[in-house]
Amino acid sequence: MVTTDPTALAARLDKPAGPRRTSLDDSRGYRIFRVVNVVVLLGVVVVTLYPFVNIVAQSFSSEVFIRTGQVNLVPRGFNFDTYRLVASDPVFWNSYLNTVLYTVTATAISIVLTTIYAYVLSKHKLKGRGLLVGIAVFTMFFNGGLIPNYVLVNGLGMTNTIWAIVLPNAISVFNLLVMKAFFESLPTELEEAAAIDGLNTYGILLKIVLPLSKAVLATMILFYAVANWNSWFQAFLYLDRADLFPVTVYLRNMIAGATSATSVGAVETNAVAISANIKAVTMVLTVLPIVVVYPFIQRYFVSGVMLGAVKQ
Amino acid sequence: MRSNWKRTLLTLVAGSLVVSVAACSEEDPASTGVDLDGKKVAAMAEYKAGDQFKATEPLDVSLLYLDQAHYPMKEDWAIWKEISQRTNITLKPTVVPYSDYDQKRGLLISSGDAPTIISKTYPGQEAPFVSSGAILPVSDYLDLMPNFKAKIDKWKLQPELNTLRQEDGKFYLLPGVHENVWQDYTLAFRTDELQRLNLKAPKDWDEVYTVLKAIKAANPDSYPLSDRFEGKSILNYAGQTFGTQAGWGYNNATWNESEQKFDFTSATPEYKALIEYFRKLVAEGLMDPESFTQKDDAAIQKFASGMSFAISSNAQNIVNDYRPNVSKIAGATVAKIPLPAGPKGDVIRGTRLENGLMVSAKIAESDKFVATMQFIDWLWYSDEAQELVKWGVPGTTYEKDASGKRTLKPDVAFGGMNVGAAKNLQRDFGFQGGVFAYGGPTELLQSMFTEEELAFQKTMADKKVIALAPPAPLSEEERERATLWESPLKDLVTQSTLQFILGSRDISTWDAYVKELDAKGMTQFIDVVNGAHKRYKEKNG
Repeated sequence: MVTTDPTALAARLDKPAGPRRTSLDDSRGYRIFRVVNVVVLLGVVVVTLYPFVNIVAQSFSSEVFIRTGQVNLVPRGFNFDTYRLVASDPVFWNSYLNTVLYTVTATAISIVLTTIYAYVLSKHKLKGRGLLVGIAVFTMFFNGGLIPNYVLVNGLGMTNTIWAIVLPNAISVFNLLVMKAFFESLPTELEEAAAIDGLNTYGILLKIVLPLSKAVLATMILFYAVANWNSWFQAFLYLDRADLFPVTVYLRNMIAGATSATSVGAVETNAVAISANIKAVTMVLTVLPIVVVYPFIQRYFVSGVMLGAVKQ
Repeated sequence: MRSNWKRTLLTLVAGSLVVSVAACSEEDPASTGVDLDGKKVAAMAEYKAGDQFKATEPLDVSLLYLDQAHYPMKEDWAIWKEISQRTNITLKPTVVPYSDYDQKRGLLISSGDAPTIISKTYPGQEAPFVSSGAILPVSDYLDLMPNFKAKIDKWKLQPELNTLRQEDGKFYLLPGVHENVWQDYTLAFRTDELQRLNLKAPKDWDEVYTVLKAIKAANPDSYPLSDRFEGKSILNYAGQTFGTQAGWGYNNATWNESEQKFDFTSATPEYKALIEYFRKLVAEGLMDPESFTQKDDAAIQKFASGMSFAISSNAQNIVNDYRPNVSKIAGATVAKIPLPAGPKGDVIRGTRLENGLMVSAKIAESDKFVATMQFIDWLWYSDEAQELVKWGVPGTTYEKDASGKRTLKPDVAFGGMNVGAAKNLQRDFGFQGGVFAYGGPTELLQSMFTEEELAFQKTMADKKVIALAPPAPLSEEERERATLWESPLKDLVTQSTLQFILGSRDISTWDAYVKELDAKGMTQFIDVVNGAHKRYKEKNG
């Protein structure tokens, strides 16, 4: 096509001479980019993986080698004793069980609430929709603060129960918005057709929308499960009994406790440093389930977020 | 429709505001009267020092309990059973992990939900809560605490106690009390290396310099001293003997005995002398510059692998951190040296007050108030209870022979005693825990020391104790102003101290540094402190 548009003409003149490129793959710039990309990402992999492997190596090493700084990527003074020692601690397993219970319950509650909320918000015809979005987004920027929150949860009689862990913050606004965008991207014709075939709103959600939303659901489960598994602050705030603590509080007390004891110069007559290998074993055991589950959900993870992000 | 939603939201918001306001105003200001009528339920009518306290009816008392990771709290510990058997009172612990104890304590007190006994509070940590009225001014109720009073009288602790007084002349913290000043931290040396080089353990800081220099000459590639605790420990114990306060012991105001006023610590010649000393060590390669930044583990690694020969230590560090780890070096031995003397002489500075406890002001309104105070007095301040919480139950965890010497039962391990025994005094019984076992008579304190530590303490006992600074309690308004100055000042001090010692800032710029301090409010701050001191002196003599 011949054009008289001066800018298009200029653009054509600027084009460098040489064979025409049909795809991006073979461009020199792209190849350089790919090499640089791989190098940089490999660097990131090393930087993130090294501490992890180091901790795993420490968990199989004996204390003396760790203390003298001889453990890097390979265990020295290989032994299983530390695993046996930690595994024989009933307090650890009790905390572990609590974490599993809290994570499962909290994730289930969060998924149900977030789905319902997001589905409602995805309906443009809904009256008061702006307000509902506003209420959610408001909490992203403002909150009552630590003490009022505590007074509220305590006033509702939830302290020292599982509800203090699983109910506050059950809906993450970020996840809510991702899910809302995903639902909005589903073709409305599908739902209209289902409605004509006689399904009510709940039927549409359960039989049409959710089966089509496995990707985003898997992503949300991953987000919530990881966040719940790792969370310690709620438990620290609202639980006063050691038998209710999740494993993260146990771990934090072991690691942060041991270091802060010395940093404040507390004259703790018997402050015994917890052995480095025990710390390492506890860390490995604590992150293990999430690390194991991650690869299975990860494929949904990418497609799920992408699907939600682009609106048709 | 839309306006309906708005109305609902507004109602919700308003409702939640009312709830939180109501919750905040629930706590009444503490009653300061000493009217005890109707508050003697379960209390003992006659309760004197040395008596066994036993509530006349069973009672629950809540306790904020600090949970240590290496002896996690268990409900079936013998200590809980023994306390309730002896006193008829059952402690109901609110368990808080050590790692974030201070934060939760603040939260519980601020939300009006604090347990009756708020344990593990260090002197000074009570100050932020005083004005809220949530904490009991315990000094008003000392008559209910005969054992506490007896120890104060016997050990002449009144001057120390005065340092706890707030602007209203009362104190709000029941501190742990020691019979004598106790210095634990000092330098530890690789004694085999000293012997090999024919060196004697240094007695003062000049000799420390000479010894380090000799070690450096024999091991040119090493830093003879590579310290842990980010250098805060060594600056603290060295600072005392230089006549100043630094590191862990840093305080912006230092009492000047000869002029009877407070000086700004880090602008004094004593502080400068301390900095110059460590600057010299670093400049000559005798002290690892990383001493002030590295993690404890890194410092221990260097020491354990023979890359350094001296490190700060307390009695436990020697046993737990150094000896087991240097054992890889053939013939390596480690020991603490007596705290070196400094320009100020052979002195230690120290207070005989330890961390202690606060009492929630709410209990003063309760009919069980007297019983609760008597219980606190017995459990934390009677000789009998102090022995109980440290050693446990006679016949179960330890034996006491006719001469009064205590020994742990063979199946009970603690510290270096009965290593490998099936049970542990802390983990399996709950005794010797940080919430209950601290302070007390020197005899009891030292009853668990090793021979080596006893010998160390004996040399320390000969040292002269520097007099305490007099009280200078700030009013609430003054405290607010002082806080505004204090943090930036302290930051500048910390930063400049490090720069001077590491040589990145030349010591010839000292005068410029003092001017910087002044620009940040040094003079105003010290004037406020001196004003507060004068006011206290006029009021209380």
